[in-house]
Amino acid sequence: MWFLKISSRVSWVAAILICAASSVAAQIPRERANPGGPVDEVFWAPNIITMGSVANLPKGNVNLTIMHVFGIATDGIKDLFGLDDLANIRIGLDYGLSDRVSIGFARSRFDKLFDFRFKGNFLRQTKDGRVPLELAIKGDMGIRTDENGFDLQDRPNYLGAVLLARKFSDTVSLQLTPMFSHFNTVFIESVGSSEIIEEENDHFALGIGGRVVMGTRVAILFEYISVIGSRSDGTRDEMGVALNVETGGHVFQLFLKTSQWLTEQHAIARNRDQFLKGDFRFGFNVNRVFSLVSN
Amino acid sequence: MEQKTISQRLDFHDMATLFSSFGFRVVLLGAIFLAIVQDSTAQAFMTRTGHAEFKSRVPFFSFTGVSDDLVGVINLADSTVDFYLDLTTLKTGIGKRDKDMRLTLETKEYPFAEFYGKIVSLFYRDSEKSQVIQVNGTFTIHGVSREITVTASLQRQGEDLYASASWKLNLNDYNIKPPRLLMVKVDEIQELGVTGRLNPVSN
Repeated sequence: MWFLKISSRVSWVAAILICAASSVAAQIPRERANPGGPVDEVFWAPNIITMGSVANLPKGNVNLTIMHVFGIATDGIKDLFGLDDLANIRIGLDYGLSDRVSIGFARSRFDKLFDFRFKGNFLRQTKDGRVPLELAIKGDMGIRTDENGFDLQDRPNYLGAVLLARKFSDTVSLQLTPMFSHFNTVFIESVGSSEIIEEENDHFALGIGGRVVMGTRVAILFEYISVIGSRSDGTRDEMGVALNVETGGHVFQLFLKTSQWLTEQHAIARNRDQFLKGDFRFGFNVNRVFSLVSN
Repeated sequence: MEQKTISQRLDFHDMATLFSSFGFRVVLLGAIFLAIVQDSTAQAFMTRTGHAEFKSRVPFFSFTGVSDDLVGVINLADSTVDFYLDLTTLKTGIGKRDKDMRLTLETKEYPFAEFYGKIVSLFYRDSEKSQVIQVNGTFTIHGVSREITVTASLQRQGEDLYASASWKLNLNDYNIKPPRLLMVKVDEIQELGVTGRLNPVSN
């Protein structure tokens, strides 16, 4: 019995020593570095088409955006499907202050508009489902600089937006965007002898956008911006579809959309056309990412 | 005679009890002593924050990807070297380029680059000078494993061990299709480097 007692205790000690020694000799188990980290790219670019997306720039990255939209495409060959019409162009830069906050500015041809914007991501959807949604806010202040006799306080316009999105799978992402737009100056116009067009300073809208990935570098995008509540006379909901192509550092978006405006506040308040009645225009966005930091 | 037998039996029983208790204590003390000795002259060293980087070249341009999530163990007792890196932790400074790299390396299917091998040259563990060593082992990336020999340097720094190594990797050897930046193809030869300060592993 005594021998068994000793033998048992010695065996335990030996087993512990052997285990300790062998745990060092064995290959260490492979573990992912950040299994609960943010999901990869809910959208590929900071914009869906006109509407901002929850995608933000990594710290130190610069995104150069060139947006271009032509005239109504359904007027036929006489104006080459809108390409002969006056086009609106917006060229802008955004910069990632951190992985969650970016600032940017741009200049558009229409109204000679300068706009300054920021985006902040408060929630990032995680791979382990701990955080199921992306939540960001976006603000934009535009100021028209065309020669129209306006005082400075008459020139600004604003956008405030809450961006809620979820990447449901590697294929499908959806985004809901409640928005508010404000123009300091609006007009009341007489059209003909009796009709009066009255514009409103404020508009509320709900944007719905999405992405369906078709291949490693190709996706279909859509967006619909519906004005909620009262709206300026003649204002229509904005709609667009796009082919999204990614080629290395570039993201191209070839789109058909209703509005000729390229900032959300204008697309909400100033769109007079209807997509489903054939009032759509061809255009494209080119996004190119650079880095101002080096490893 | 009977008394003597009883006495002998008692003595034997007492001695057995004594030995049982004494023997266990000796073994236990020995184990503790061994553990202390082993700790003070650690055989195994580990890091979870090692640095790994690669350098890619295209004509007139190069870029570097870095990660500080290199995990590795060097065991001087059996000369084994075991390192791995979660490839999704590599950052090149541009988010889009990182994504391209992950697509090229197919990190969803093959998330790790790994090296497991043995030190095949002498290493004087008591010296605090940097020593050049040879390590033979298997490097695995993109699901392809190849035997390689790496020249590394090891140096005792107090209780720790500092390790560094660099070698070149041909993407074609690992069935990795060199990506393109615009119209220019990235050179298939990549320069890899790892460094790390490894702490003694407490067993």
